[in-house]
Amino acid sequence: MGFQLILDGEEHDVAIVRRRPHLVLRIDGIEHEFSEIGGPGDGLHALKSGKHPIDFIRASDNERQIIRLGGRTFEVDHIDPFSEGMESGGNKDAVRSPMPGTVVSIQCKEGDTVVRGTPLVTIESMKLQTVLSAMREGTVAEILRVEGETFEKDAIIVMLEPETEKA
Amino acid sequence: MGDAGWSVGRLAERGHRMSNPLFNKVLVANRGEIACRIMRTLSQMGIPTVAIYHAAETKARHVQMADKAVEIYGETPVAAHLDMGQIIEIARNLEVDAIHPGYGFLSENANFAAAVADAGMTFIGPDAETIALMGDKISARNFAEKHNVAVAPSVMPTDDLDDFIEKAAGIGYPLLIKAAAGGGGKGMSIVREAAALVEAARVASSEAQRYFGDGRVYAETYVDHPRHIEVQVLGDGKGGAIHLFERECSVQRRFQKIIEEAPAPNLSAELRDEICTSATRLAAAANYKNAGTVEYILGADGRFFFLEMNTRLQVEHPVTEMITGIDLVHAQIEIAAGKGLPLPQSEVRTSGHAVECRICAENPEQDFMPETGVVRHLGVPEAEWLRFENALTHGQKITADFDPMLAKLVAHGPNRDAAIERSIAALGELALLGVKTNIDYLARLINHDAFRAAELHTGFIAQHRDDLAPKALNETERAQILAAAFLGFRQTRDLIVGTPEPHAAIGGWRN
Repeated sequence: MGFQLILDGEEHDVAIVRRRPHLVLRIDGIEHEFSEIGGPGDGLHALKSGKHPIDFIRASDNERQIIRLGGRTFEVDHIDPFSEGMESGGNKDAVRSPMPGTVVSIQCKEGDTVVRGTPLVTIESMKLQTVLSAMREGTVAEILRVEGETFEKDAIIVMLEPETEKA
Repeated sequence: MGDAGWSVGRLAERGHRMSNPLFNKVLVANRGEIACRIMRTLSQMGIPTVAIYHAAETKARHVQMADKAVEIYGETPVAAHLDMGQIIEIARNLEVDAIHPGYGFLSENANFAAAVADAGMTFIGPDAETIALMGDKISARNFAEKHNVAVAPSVMPTDDLDDFIEKAAGIGYPLLIKAAAGGGGKGMSIVREAAALVEAARVASSEAQRYFGDGRVYAETYVDHPRHIEVQVLGDGKGGAIHLFERECSVQRRFQKIIEEAPAPNLSAELRDEICTSATRLAAAANYKNAGTVEYILGADGRFFFLEMNTRLQVEHPVTEMITGIDLVHAQIEIAAGKGLPLPQSEVRTSGHAVECRICAENPEQDFMPETGVVRHLGVPEAEWLRFENALTHGQKITADFDPMLAKLVAHGPNRDAAIERSIAALGELALLGVKTNIDYLARLINHDAFRAAELHTGFIAQHRDDLAPKALNETERAQILAAAFLGFRQTRDLIVGTPEPHAAIGGWRN
């Protein structure tokens, strides 16, 4: 069984094939041998596959590795099959902000029935106002922010009632 | 890290250090990189510094750098930094005799400048009256026009929107509509045809009302493919003024600059002289005191129009410092202390070319939306031709509390090509991990043929959007990145080096 990593929004599969004499990884079905794997943890490391070592910088942030390689920075996320299951349930009901910002105004109240596209909250980020709307039909369960409140990227602003099985 | 070897103290060598400091204590009413940059010069001049900080930034670098740091309070960190009364009270209690406002926050607030003066302290900047004159786009424009500084054909605001629309239609298209009291792109729009005018005017007016409590809007001729050229001036407050040449600031996103350079490329000597002289004329006419910047738009036809005057130190002031060798903060402090201008116009010389890249926490692939994160790794290139202006610390949280600009990378070279090459190399070496930034985007931008050829205008980023997108990875690159990431997870690491062979094949994250 391999590990699922996400790079640039795409899922990739990485598995250990052999550890000795050199590490061999199967990456998206293709085997790569590494004669050097660099040290553990964050910082400057070198990887060697083939003749030339490749320098890179790595920093970890929970289930994310940030890699700077060839003058570019990449974020690689690990999909944890267990927590993913938990998340997807929550994700369906949470209206998140795609960027950090401030709540300008709230256009809904708890208990409101909404349809897909109903404006819920207006936020401002970088002098730009954006309306967050309902992503599906449902009922507003909770509004987690008040007007004027600031929040981080991906913060949950509004929760909808969990979807019930349609009879 | 960081404050690389550029001759920061060329002016400092001329004197005041150690002997008689020009001020006993200066409070820097700002934060981040600019507070650090100002304190660097103050320290070189032997002047003790006071920093202010909100609880959200207790470990910030400007707090560590200052001789004394005082906490300020407010509903939000920004509100604390805007609380004039509190800041003046702190200054008074600590027997501060001058306040440097930096840029942003209170730097262009005439009431603050007046309150500092009323409290018996020196505001390191122009008088409140000058700030007020230049702070209102309309009074600034009228003043410029009166003193023979070219302004674009325009319609003055009225409270009567219908009248405004009629007059605006009269000067032709394209038109730029702006909030009278505005700044930073708020309430601004371009109207290209008569049909769009009414709605654009209405939207601009309501945005202006909402942001500034002043719904007046005005319109002016919009110059297509304009360049943004600005002139650094210094005034002595008695009608004496010099310029330190111009900066090119055309590369912008969201109406905000991200790359600036000095001198402006592809500018004839005559035109450069004409623009710079008009800026000095304006500053002299206003009895301008301290450092200021006169902004212009320059059309492809060589016509240039006054945009506004910024009555403070600019974000991009280092490019001017690097080509003139003049420390602008040093000059500001000397002027504020009544020492006059640092040198006569005839002695202002430039050498080489400088490029500044603004490093921002943002995602260029998502319309430059701001990003948040934590500084997990910071690797800064160093060379005598580089300046990395920043206040970053390892583990620092990058939040939405403040502006997304994190740092500025400034490179100098004997000519523009060299400055570009050095910038590209430095951006490649600069590693700031833990928050998405525009570093790689800036490297692509500066490396673009049109940038190298100086085909610059304010729509550059939109025009070259496709070229500036990141190149797709090939299979080898992708495998390298994935392997490097894979080896970073503790769980996989354990599997590779720590566990007996059979277990490695079983794998799994939780066992």
